[in-house]
Order: sequence, then structure tokens, then C-alpha cells
Amino acid sequence: MVETPRQVVVLLASFAVMAGLPAIAAAAGRPDFVTLGSQVCIMAIAAAGLDLLMGRTGLPSFGQAAWFGLGGYTVAILAAHAGDGSLPGWVTGAWFAWPAAILVPAVLALGIGALCLRTTGISFIMITLAFAQMFFFLFVALKAYGGDDGLSMRRRNALPFIGPRDDVGFYYVCLAALVLVLLVLRRVWRSRLGVVLDGIRQNERRMLAIGLNPFPYKLAAFVLAASLGGLAGALHVNLFRFASPDLLHWTQSGELMVMVVLGGLGSLWGAVFGAAALVLLHVFLAQWTEHWMIVLGPILVAVVLLARRGVWGALGGR
Amino acid sequence: MSGLLEVRGLSKRFGGLVATDALDLAVGAGEVHALIGPNGAGKTTVIGQLAGELRPDGGSIWLDGADITRLAPPARVRAGLTRSFQVTQVLMAASALANVALVEQVRQGHSFRFWRPASGDARLEAPARVMLARVGLEARAATPAEDLSHGERRQLELAMALATRPRLLLLDEPMAGLGAAESAAMTALLAGLKGEVAILLVEHDMDAVFALADRVTVLLDGRAIASGPPAAIRADPAVRDAYLGTP
Amino acid sequence: MILLLEQLLNGLQYGVMLFLMAAGLTLVFGIMGLINLAHGSLYMIGAYAAAWTQQQTGSFLLGLAAGLAAAGVLGVALEMAILRRLYGRAHLDQVLATFGVILFANEAVAMLFGRQPLMAGLPRWLAGAVEIVPGVPYPLYRLAIIAVGLAVAAGLYGLIAHTRIGMLVRAGATHRALVGALGVRIGLLFTAVFGLGALLAGLAGALTGPLLSVQVGMGERILIATFVVIVIGGLGSVRGALAGSVLVGMVDTLARAYLPGALRGVMAAADADALGAGLSSMAIFILMAAVLLWRPRGLFPTHG
Repeated sequence: MVETPRQVVVLLASFAVMAGLPAIAAAAGRPDFVTLGSQVCIMAIAAAGLDLLMGRTGLPSFGQAAWFGLGGYTVAILAAHAGDGSLPGWVTGAWFAWPAAILVPAVLALGIGALCLRTTGISFIMITLAFAQMFFFLFVALKAYGGDDGLSMRRRNALPFIGPRDDVGFYYVCLAALVLVLLVLRRVWRSRLGVVLDGIRQNERRMLAIGLNPFPYKLAAFVLAASLGGLAGALHVNLFRFASPDLLHWTQSGELMVMVVLGGLGSLWGAVFGAAALVLLHVFLAQWTEHWMIVLGPILVAVVLLARRGVWGALGGR
Repeated sequence: MSGLLEVRGLSKRFGGLVATDALDLAVGAGEVHALIGPNGAGKTTVIGQLAGELRPDGGSIWLDGADITRLAPPARVRAGLTRSFQVTQVLMAASALANVALVEQVRQGHSFRFWRPASGDARLEAPARVMLARVGLEARAATPAEDLSHGERRQLELAMALATRPRLLLLDEPMAGLGAAESAAMTALLAGLKGEVAILLVEHDMDAVFALADRVTVLLDGRAIASGPPAAIRADPAVRDAYLGTP
Repeated sequence: MILLLEQLLNGLQYGVMLFLMAAGLTLVFGIMGLINLAHGSLYMIGAYAAAWTQQQTGSFLLGLAAGLAAAGVLGVALEMAILRRLYGRAHLDQVLATFGVILFANEAVAMLFGRQPLMAGLPRWLAGAVEIVPGVPYPLYRLAIIAVGLAVAAGLYGLIAHTRIGMLVRAGATHRALVGALGVRIGLLFTAVFGLGALLAGLAGALTGPLLSVQVGMGERILIATFVVIVIGGLGSVRGALAGSVLVGMVDTLARAYLPGALRGVMAAADADALGAGLSSMAIFILMAAVLLWRPRGLFPTHG
């Protein structure tokens, strides 16, 4: 993965806009832009993780929302227990709650991934969707944690230097998390691990014939994608101080896939642009009509049929 | 006779069709053993079973005295048995060098490293360049595989197989689709490997077979109908009837 | 014991419904290599068309005909306008494009009929119950659904065992090039197969109307259960779809009927009901995991 000069320029410009977003929002008198920016960063983290699995390893998972929701519920449930005194207050510190929101999905993904990876192709798509739906039903049925109605969180997880009501501070936390995730993933992409994952995507039979057992590497990608999904979910629940089964809804999984493909499958940076495009599209279509999905659906079909390389590929200009 | 590879009573059926019928086969260390026979004789099925992609219904496969009948394909490669493919299987989006470097990486066994870039790593690329030079592709190292000619891809396929440092190579029609000049070059290349690595060669190009093979086994309907030195096989009337035809 | 018999029949009835969905989905996959998420939308369209027509005309049979017609016509239109461009494309593309179709279909139906569920009653001649064994009444309508489903299964068996389409199904998607070489008008054939699948989905939707509420999102619920059926049965196998459907129908129904009661033996009633509801909605997914551990390619794996 080598970025073209034009892509580097676009990346730097995008980063400058993101870094200055709170100032822009203040000048425009639109504090909601900051929330929107946080949402873009959060979805981009989840989409970038999914791109490692879908784009780099060639495993299209239709269950990414499960990890997103599990991460989100992890922080919300910890906060609920701290609130009623059944757990000590320090579990709501971000230093504890966020790693927990990464670990819970990661551990579950280790087991479920091992099962899902027994299948390939369409079966893999179907089975990841089915397992995600299983967790969806679980949270709908868990009345102790709100069931259908969801679970609110009184305040965000405690962070050093940033107050619980400081939306701008929280935005910068999300942006920093995104930049960190992207820089690490970019190294993974080009590393020995990334090269093996790419080989599995291109020709698994060849990888077997040169002595590689692909299973542990596929599982590693699956777990890594789940971990990032969990982190994104934790940030999302912090942003809105609310967790509900909708986090795990199958359309959420579908939208994450759309973000990856819209941005450019396997391009890593593309996931950010895909996430931004879809989040902004939601907001603007929703302002225009409550039936915005009737516009989004045909856009999806057109993107799949016509724009194969995605936003990032188009930026590359080749 | 104790060989590097010993196959005893290998059998495989697909429904009612007997694809491999109680086959015995031995390849000595450093020997080139050709497996020939008409289309449908079951050669590719034998390669598939030896490489571990197909599970035999009966019989056993031994490599250097160890039973490998139930090993998965990657474990066989680590034990020293590597196959090449009749239809080229290289990573089309990667350069020739990256293809071979990837094999080197897998052989060295450090594929969970996720921090340093793989490309530009001399520990992978130096031995990979040596392999490319052996098959005559050093000048094309940076070219993506999808831009290589068919003949060059066949060379790359061989380089990738050799980079696993096998003791036994299963070559599934290495001359497939090559022109006369390319075939001669590939034959010379394989002749250069003689004595260093044992080869089980499946090939339709009889000139190559008789130039390279120390021993020849003729397969018909999944059974070995003859086995011996090339001269004896050429003279065998049963073989002439079944396969070679009248020249 | 009497209750068990009833629940077994309920399970069979749900299984039959799943089979109507799974048969079409697996045929389309087996012949065209296409994964069609919008199959659930065709089910929803069938249900809405039937319920609405029945409300307007008061005739159950007219409603049924309308449901079949709407799903069939829209299915064929969908195939010709969009899906035929997706044959031979990556499964990921197929998933995303048909996901877009679902979003469109759900929203379009919500705009036309609103978000309130539509109710369709039963005509008097189907509303009664029959005694299956002396002293045990069972709803006639559910028995009728079972009969229709079994008839469809028999019809599909005849189609696959004795016709050219069946030969193509058995040859499987891997031999598509060969089929083309035989001179079959492939485009027409694909449209016909897709139309058949759409009709079956529409039939399932129309028959469901009087049992469940007809609402947006009903398609995805049954679609995901259908995926479980297909993964269990084996992709592309109609026989597997039948076995998987009955298995999933039974497990789901029996878990919902008996799990909360069983849990009440070991914990407080309210907790048992909540946990039982959660566990029973997860039951089919646990079944799927178990089958995959045992047979990764399903109960009736197809070749290739």
C-alpha cells in the first residue's frame, strides 16, 4: 500500500479539517457538528477494523455490529453496576472500561470466529450474520439491562483532564483514537502478518502449498476486527450515553460493510472516507425526508454496480 | 528398496470410479521419477493425495520413513514435500520478488510479526533473489505477476516451490502451455536440479520425460502398468499399446 | 402429552414456512450462484399484497392470488433490472446491492401502508379447528399450511428429479458454462428460476398474514432464520433445505414452548421467563453452531 501524492494531500487536508472542526463548529454556531465529527471518527474505527478482515483478508463478515454492541454494552453495564453500588466506582474509569470493551468482544470473537471460519464464501456471510443476530436477541431478552428499551449511562467514562460534559474534549479523544488505530493498522497492513493475510485473500490454495496453515491468521484478523468494533462501540455509547439492541441490529452490520466498500475495499484509508460519507449522508438525507432510506437503498445499488474502486481509489486517480 | 517417498497400496474412489487402484510407488533421494499416462489415468489424483489435498480411501504414504498419510498439506510442506500446480497459482497482484519472499517468510515461520514492513526486509528478499536467479527471473523481480508472460509465471511457480527447500518436488505438468523453446529451457532448468532435490514429474511432453527421468511409472486407469528405467519403458510392448502408440 | 402433539405440529408448520423461503433461496444460489438478501422483501411484499387485498375485497383467496402475483412480478422485475448484473460478481457485491434493495423495499412499504401492522383475518371456512386425535382440536388453517408446504416440497421433488431445470440444479452452478454450451437460453432460464423462488416467498408471506402481524421488518426476521436453515442443511441442496427447515422449526417452537417452564423449576418465575425467552430465541443459532462443529458443510453438502 503506497499512497499517491494526491492521496497524501487529501489525507493531510482531511486531517486539518478534522483537527479544526470544533473551531469551525463554534464559528458557524453549530455545536452539533462536533457530535457529527465524533460519530465519523467512531464509525471509521469500526470500519477500518472491518476492512482488515474484509478487504485485506478477504473475509466479508456480516456480523460486525455484534462486536460494536458488545463493546458498547460492556461500558454501559459496568456503569449501571457502579451506579447501584454492586461494583466499585473505578470500573467506570476509561482506563478500565475501555480495555474491557475491547477484551470482551475479542474473547467471544476467538470462539465464534473459530466456528465461523470452518465455513467459507456465502456460508461465512450467513453464519456471521446469524451469530450477530443471536447476540441481538440476547440483549433484547436481557430485561435486567433494559431489554428492548436500552440502557442509559448517567455520565461518560472518566478521563484524565476531560470533564464528563466536555463534548469538544471527547471529540479530540475520538479523533486521537482514530489516528492511533489508523497508524497501527497501516503498519499491520504492510507487515509480514499483513502480507500473509493478503496472500490468503488472493489465493488460499497457494498459501497451503507453500506450507502455511491459514486458520490462525484468519482468526487473528477476525479477533482484531472484533476488538476495534468493541472500542468503537464503547466510544459510541459514551458519546450518546445510551446503549440499546439497535447497536447490534443487522442493518448496522450492513452499513459497516457499505462504509468499507464505499471507501474502497482493502485500502484502509478508504474506510474513513466511507464512514464519513455514510454518516453525513444519513444526516443530510434525514433532514430532507424521514424516508431517507428510500434514497440510500438505490445509492447503494448504484455504488456496487458502477463505482467499484470506491472513494479512495478514485482519489488515487489511476 | 527404501526410498525418500514410498507409497503403498494407495487407493481412491469417486463414487463408482476407481481413480487410484492399489498404487505402489517409490522415489529415491535425488531421483527424478516420471509419472506418465493418458488423460484420465489418474495422475492428478495421485498428486492431490500425495500433497494432502485429497484424502486416500486406503494405503499409506511415507516420507523418509515417516507416515504422512494423514498430515495436512502445510505440514507436508514443512516435512519436505512440495507441489507445483498445473494451472499457475501465483499471487497476481504481487511482484515476482514478493511472491518468493512470502514463501521464504512462511518457511522462516515469523508470520505473526505485525510491526516492521515485510517489503524491503533483507532476510526475506536476499534468499528470494537467489531463487529468482536460479529460475532465470532475476531481471523481472519487481514486475507484478499479472504482467509476467505465461512462461515467466511457470518459472515463478517453480521458484516458489523451490523456495520451500523441499526434499521432494511434485511437479504437475511444469511444461503445460509452454512453447517449444520455453519447454527446452524449463527442461534444462529441471535438469540442473538433479541430484539436489528428488522430483516426481507428471508430464505429457515425452521429450522432457525421457530427457529427465531416472525412472518412469506408467499409469492406466489408476493402476501402474509398468515401472522401470526410461529405455525399458520405451521398449515395453504393453506401454506402447496403452499409451505411447506407434511413433 | 396433548400439548406436545400440538407443539410438534406448530413446529412442523413453522418449518414448512421456512422451507418455502429456503427452497427459493437455495435454488437461486445453486443455479445462479447468487445470494439474495432481498428474498425476505419478496416475502414481505407477498404478505402486504395479500393482507391489503383481503381487507379491500374481503376474499382470502383473492388476497392469496394478489400476494403471489405481487411477489412474482416484482421478483422478476428485480431480477431483470438489477440482480442479473450480479451473477458472477463477488458475493460481497451481491450482499451489498441486495441490502440496498431491502432498505428501499422496507421504506417504500412503510410509505405506502404506514408503520402500523396490517391485520388479515381468516375466512370462516378456514377458521375452525379439527380434532386430530379425539379430544385434541387443532387449527384447520395451520393444518392447511402444512399441507400446502408438503405439496410444494413434493412438486419441487418432481421438478428436480424429472425436468431439465432439475438437471441444471443437480449439475450445479459450477457447470454454468457447460449448460450455456448445451444451448439452453440461460437468461430466460435464470429469470424463470428466480421467478419461481419469488412465488414461493410470496406464498409464504401471504399464508403468514393471518397468523402473524404484517409489518415492515418481517422479511429480515424470517430471512435470517432461513440462513440458519440453509447453513444447517447445506448450501444449494433442496433436500438439505427441507431437513434444515423442519429441524429449525421444531427446535425453535419447542424451545419457546418448554424452556421457560423448565427454568421455573430452578429459579423464580419472572427470571425464568426472561432468561427462557432469551435462550429460546438463541436456540436455533446454538443448533447451527453444533451442526457446524459436527459437519462444517451442513447436513447435505453439495458437490463443488
